Amino acid sequence: MSRILRIAFTIMACWVLAGCRDASPSEPAPSTIRLQLNWVPEPEFGGIYAADAAGFFRDEGLQVEIIKGGPGVAAPQLAASGRVEFAVVGGEQILTLGEAGGELVGIYAIYQDDPMAVMVHATSPFASLEELWKSDATVACEANLSWVTMLNEKFGGASLKIVPHGGSIALFAADSNLAQQCFVFAEPVALEMQGVATKVFLVKESGFNPYNGVIATSAAYAKANPETCAKVRRALQRGWERYLKDPAPTNAVMAAMNPAMTKEAMDIAAKRQQPLIESPDTERLGLGAMTAERWSNTAQQLQRLGKITTLPAPEEIFLWGTSAPR
Amino acid sequence: MKHRSLALLPPLIAIAAALLLWEIAVRALNVPAYLLPPPSRVAVALWDDRAALAMSTMRTASATLAGFLIAAVLGIVIGSLLSTSRRLERGLYPLTLLFQMVPLVAIAPLLVIWLGNGIRTVIASSAVVAIFPVIANTLSGLRSADPHLDELFTLHHATRWQRWFKLGLPSAVPSMLTGCRIAAGLATIGAVVGEFVAGFGGASAPLGIVIMTSLREFRTEKVFAAVALASLVGFALFGIVNGAAHVAARRYAA
Repeated sequence: MSRILRIAFTIMACWVLAGCRDASPSEPAPSTIRLQLNWVPEPEFGGIYAADAAGFFRDEGLQVEIIKGGPGVAAPQLAASGRVEFAVVGGEQILTLGEAGGELVGIYAIYQDDPMAVMVHATSPFASLEELWKSDATVACEANLSWVTMLNEKFGGASLKIVPHGGSIALFAADSNLAQQCFVFAEPVALEMQGVATKVFLVKESGFNPYNGVIATSAAYAKANPETCAKVRRALQRGWERYLKDPAPTNAVMAAMNPAMTKEAMDIAAKRQQPLIESPDTERLGLGAMTAERWSNTAQQLQRLGKITTLPAPEEIFLWGTSAPR
Repeated sequence: MKHRSLALLPPLIAIAAALLLWEIAVRALNVPAYLLPPPSRVAVALWDDRAALAMSTMRTASATLAGFLIAAVLGIVIGSLLSTSRRLERGLYPLTLLFQMVPLVAIAPLLVIWLGNGIRTVIASSAVVAIFPVIANTLSGLRSADPHLDELFTLHHATRWQRWFKLGLPSAVPSMLTGCRIAAGLATIGAVVGEFVAGFGGASAPLGIVIMTSLREFRTEKVFAAVALASLVGFALFGIVNGAAHVAARRYAA
């Protein structure tokens, strides 16, 4: 019996050690850089696909593979654990994942202003988030999101009913009393084209406005490859410049990959998202820019809401310019 | 009694060994907690959030119990009806198979459209996945009655009810209970999936919502805690059905 145990233990130990070697940092970097999206191809990734189509990554000597996402894709964890080199994540996710031990560094913020919003039917009696939150309406959204917690603190929300948000607009279209989280330029446009009129309330107007659509990489990768990060950023800036000027060709490419959204809807969405992408900061520092002030602001809000306990130094969580993170 | 507690020893040792190996492996390989937390962290999460998690578990347990009871009662009724006629069985049995084949994750959002958000959809989702094994096992149990006794009942002009109650039921009870045992585990899965799409969030959110929320907050240890509690609900229901089976076996064995 003890011999069998010993053999089993040896096999186990070998397997564990082999696993260790696989995970060691001395592994040569793959020649292809993987960029994981956190949703299906839509105008929120327009500049990424434009950069790819125009060969801007190739101009930097990079071979980039764009990996489509969808509901449930764990983009932040994939990037933090090195399964992919880069991923598109929500700005606040960099902070909350950091709290859980996953170190991410943002290198480019697509959205300077958070597109997160809550939509209601045009026939709804509510005229603001405050009115909605003080009612007993049903809101389909991801429970415990920071902005939901913030609105609860601000407006009470004791009788509000929060139900899961599966990412579909079918439920919303079928129920004229339902409110649902959305990106201001995405779901409302799709609904409009189906003949469903909506009213949309932006979450940022109640004071919570993190960067969104942040291209992030693991802290280890950012430290070891500052040059690659700068190249990816340059290619993204050129891609977004091109997309903002003329989104139509890229939309045609993305519409072919995403049957759920027509090119017409993408054209409208691209126009509507533009004010969230360009800001005084981007005019000064370039598209995708991030500032330490904005990051500290978001971190402090998350700390106050109890989502994180320690405040990271801003230079640990984002990288702008060519300096490596500390 | 001493004998029974000894029988529990091997599985307990196996579980303890698995947990220990998990703890050692995660620590030795330095796996970050957001990918796979060690069991000790799961235990801490269970303890830290015990009040809220207890409430969540109660909510999931009550929906599971309701879904299970509906599946058990309806399953036995449908199985019995199908057993009364070969033609009925041939016609309708494939339809009941649908319950087994339907991918729950796909129809769960439809249940929300039909029944609205909240406990009704959760119970329905639980009953839908749990009902088939009860129907199938009831039917095969009723069919397995002694054919000689069957002839005897015919000779004595027994009514359908007498035939079901005095001939079919005694021979079918063990297989009905087998169906219910399978249904106990399935009902729990059905309830948690139902909560994924229709559970109410907030302070006393059910386990399905706790799992989704904790996933989003990268609190993997809490995901495991909630999953462990959901399995506990399934085990408890399984235990109750097993207890009922023992009582029934003693009664019908004579």
